[in-house]
Amino acid sequence: MLLVATTLTACGGGGDDGTKASAPKAPATIPELTKDPLTLSFIWFDWPPAHALEDFANAEYKKERPNATIKVNTVPNANWHDAMFTQFAARKTDFDIAILDSQHIGEAVTNGNILDLTDFVKNNIDVNAYNPYLLAAYGQFPQAETGKRDENASLYGLPLLGDTWTMIYRKDLIGDKPPQTWDEMISVAEKCQADHPGVSGLAFHQANGSDAAAVTYNTVNGVYGGNLWDAKTRKIEGVLNDAAGQEAMDVLVNKMKPLTAKGSGNWFIDEVNAAVAQGKACIAFNWIAASGGLLDPKESTLGTTREQILDKLGFATLPSQKTNLVPLGGMGMHVSAYSPTANQAEALNFMKWFERADIQKKWAAAGGVPSRTDALESPEFLNAGPFNQVYTDSVPRMRDMWNVPEYARLVDIENTNVNAALNGAKKPKDALDDIAKEQQAVLDSSSRKGGGGL
Amino acid sequence: MSAPVPLTTDPGRVASATPPAPGRSRRLSDRGLAVAFTSPALLLLLAMSVFPLLWALYLSFTDYSATRGGAAHFVGFGNYTAILTSAQVHQRALTTLIYVVGAVTLQTVLGFAIAYLISRRTHGRGLLTTLFLVPMMLSPVVVGLFWRFMLDAQFGVINSMLGSLGLGQVEWLTRQRTALVSLIVVDTWQWTPFIMLIALAGLTAVPKYLYEAASIDRASEWFRFRTITLPLVWPLLLIAVLFRAIEAFRLFDLVYILTSGGPGVSTETLSFHVYKVAFLGFNTGTASAYGILMVLVVIVLTQLYLRYLNKLKEG
Amino acid sequence: MAVSVDEAVSAGPARGRPPAARRPGGRGRSVLEVALLTVLAVVMLFPVLWMIETSIKENRDVYAIPAEFFGFTVTMDHFKDVFVAPDGGRSALSVAFLNSVLVAGASTVLATVLGVPAAWAYSRFALKAKKDQLFFILSTRFMPPVVVVIPIFLMYRQVGLIDSKLGLILIYAAYNVPFTIWMMKGFVDEVPAEYEDAAMLDGYTRLQAFRKFTLPLLVPGIAATAVFALIFSWNEFVFAIFLTSSDSVRTAPPAIAGLIGGTTVDWGLVAAASVVFALPVLVFAYLVRRHLVAGVTLGAVRR
Repeated sequence: MLLVATTLTACGGGGDDGTKASAPKAPATIPELTKDPLTLSFIWFDWPPAHALEDFANAEYKKERPNATIKVNTVPNANWHDAMFTQFAARKTDFDIAILDSQHIGEAVTNGNILDLTDFVKNNIDVNAYNPYLLAAYGQFPQAETGKRDENASLYGLPLLGDTWTMIYRKDLIGDKPPQTWDEMISVAEKCQADHPGVSGLAFHQANGSDAAAVTYNTVNGVYGGNLWDAKTRKIEGVLNDAAGQEAMDVLVNKMKPLTAKGSGNWFIDEVNAAVAQGKACIAFNWIAASGGLLDPKESTLGTTREQILDKLGFATLPSQKTNLVPLGGMGMHVSAYSPTANQAEALNFMKWFERADIQKKWAAAGGVPSRTDALESPEFLNAGPFNQVYTDSVPRMRDMWNVPEYARLVDIENTNVNAALNGAKKPKDALDDIAKEQQAVLDSSSRKGGGGL
Repeated sequence: MSAPVPLTTDPGRVASATPPAPGRSRRLSDRGLAVAFTSPALLLLLAMSVFPLLWALYLSFTDYSATRGGAAHFVGFGNYTAILTSAQVHQRALTTLIYVVGAVTLQTVLGFAIAYLISRRTHGRGLLTTLFLVPMMLSPVVVGLFWRFMLDAQFGVINSMLGSLGLGQVEWLTRQRTALVSLIVVDTWQWTPFIMLIALAGLTAVPKYLYEAASIDRASEWFRFRTITLPLVWPLLLIAVLFRAIEAFRLFDLVYILTSGGPGVSTETLSFHVYKVAFLGFNTGTASAYGILMVLVVIVLTQLYLRYLNKLKEG
Repeated sequence: MAVSVDEAVSAGPARGRPPAARRPGGRGRSVLEVALLTVLAVVMLFPVLWMIETSIKENRDVYAIPAEFFGFTVTMDHFKDVFVAPDGGRSALSVAFLNSVLVAGASTVLATVLGVPAAWAYSRFALKAKKDQLFFILSTRFMPPVVVVIPIFLMYRQVGLIDSKLGLILIYAAYNVPFTIWMMKGFVDEVPAEYEDAAMLDGYTRLQAFRKFTLPLLVPGIAATAVFALIFSWNEFVFAIFLTSSDSVRTAPPAIAGLIGGTTVDWGLVAAASVVFALPVLVFAYLVRRHLVAGVTLGAVRR
């Protein structure tokens, strides 16, 4: 009896969150900053840019704000979404700035987990310094249409790290000139694989965790003129699995997959990097921000110095086919709604500082990928890595996935089904139809709150 | 801890010479002592096991979501019917069943065989047993990571050795059948020692005179095994099997690390599916109902386990 | 009950095994059996050896095909990396190890302090519905963690225990208390109640009798029980990954799991971290080898 009573009380407590959730607004101007020592915490997944950010911010931001220390908490990539959103759900976060994937914004905004920065941006950020779509991709909700920004939509974040796929190719095996079309890329890979036993033609993400296999399919889908959905009518069924979508799935499973290494069906970022570093792939696709390790002679069999490795490895923008779309990666900075006021103020100050022209160039030199156009075209950025030119060239070609509150489930459905198709557990056509059907069901049932979800 | 216990009711040493009176007060203090000693532990279990479970039971009848906020609405048995009729759930149940049956069978056969072989040795039994037990003590995280490394189709040592033998590469973790087999193999590697340990305890407990009597009768080895060894070891073995079945039914960590449910969803167990419902979609109501159903299965298994235990203790 | 596990595990001389191997024709069979055991032992131990070998290889050799079993350059760098961060400070892994020590230690102490007196009470006194209570206690131990973590998460959210060491300590203690009670009850049962009765005839109270006479006899059992609780908390992964997120709280299992899924997998580091992580457990397991059967069956099987 007592237990039942406590159960009800506790659940009554849980219902406190019941007020219609919407993102609280950040102040338009930065409030007065504290003079006491303060730790500004981020949350990201564990990869080199996270460490680069912590080092960079502690070195440079401290010059402005000697009392501030930057701490970048890292979690395993597979646990990234869960770690952020379980804390949001707890209404208590150990971070002040969440580094959300661009598609997480919808979920966070709808739940009221991050601050609305619209007024703050108006007063503090020079929006004309950016490619409008890039600014929108990491902050706007509802989602921006590909290539455009909606000036009237609200902004909830600012760009931290830009990213896209680069094509990594072996200059010593296929020549200096990268293939220009997707079909050409496939035939070059085929020939390379036939000419060099032990080296596979292609290496790309196929795993069913994170967004690995989903991004791969979406990329091919874009290149072959497909669409992920019709955002206005919220239709996936019939859009994703139209003729273009089917062709993309066919290319991926029947033309590209046979050129990959046996057992590569669970590969993600690190396995693709390992294959390249071990000299086992002619052409590979990977996120630019994750490619730095390829130039490390300690991890590579391609050469004993960075220069030797660069003699063999080339980096290029993705080939085009029916379109020249490339996947948008990277992440923005978002202020936790549950962080103390002093920390939120510091977070806003940090973001304003970070988006300054000179700081963006320094971030570029420190190994980051900036977003301001001037920084992207600066020698600091273009000379910092062999793949940075690829990023700058790719910016006008980017397309993102659905940025909706149901993102985590949509991407899981796509990941598992594409992964199943790639590994022979499902026929490609069935997999695509299942994705469309299941994703549509998720979108349609989104009003059902905590029910459903199987 | 001793505060509520009336320690000083006993008037003194002299009284202990006359049993009746102190015996009475002692019984009284016994009850107080028993309550004082058991209640802290029971309270912790009520707070950390029973209460959360009741909460989950309540949520399982609602459409509550841990992140989306808003009041929870009662949906009756809606979540339960949705789960029980879902083809997705049926698929996971089948996967879990194959996994549990496959892994536990394999472990039992292997574990018993090893125990039998060890029990026939006269030297080095202690060392052998200790060595065989190592896998069981490792964290599932370590086991999962390491087997993932060894089973890698390209760089893994298993395929490398197969290659040296002139055999082709096997896609251990990325084909529907082999991935589930790999899961079973890794679980078997880790838990065969468990069955072995318990079987060994049973085997070494078989009284010597039984064998001696049998050898006078010139009974065949197989006959002795069937009529003496097995009946005595059987109850223990059964307990080990039930225990493993319960543990295997709950399996999560190994899937999370080794295959993350792939390829596709072909190695997703029920536990892994609950995780996805609970933490990807934050469909807390559905996940709670799912969890309650799993708990029911575990309770049935546990009851069986306990019943056999009892029989064993009485027998 | 006369035979203890010790006999199964101890390396002492044969105790009452049938002299099957000495029969005529038994020799060939004996050789076969030894060969079979050897093969099985090699198969079971190979992954452990491979893990140790990988931990002392340079990263370039780790991926070598065909795999290198001998003749690689030995390096201790991975072990250094486990404890020392690239910038010379303490590595995140070493912090996680410390957290694990703290969480596993505290939860074990808590479970022991709560469980041992309860076990004694259940062994000595006729309590109401004792059997049901004991069965209930044991069944809480069998709940799937992935299911329990959902309401625990909601509960912790209310009281602010998400991402805290205390939260982990409490849930681990709750998982270890049933085990401690069942395991310890067996040990208490073995200490004759007459000792206490005799002491009470001498004028000691029941509590004093427990403290002065029974408790000292229980110490080895308590130690063994605590070690098993420690091993469980040390190895636990599910609660740790869902209830913690920051470096300062995270325990070793999620930290080690986090070593993969970045941009490059340093398998040497994974192996070294695994070795360092597994070592204490193996040492502990060796210390309690006499009680292994009871330990792994939650104290249910004790012969």
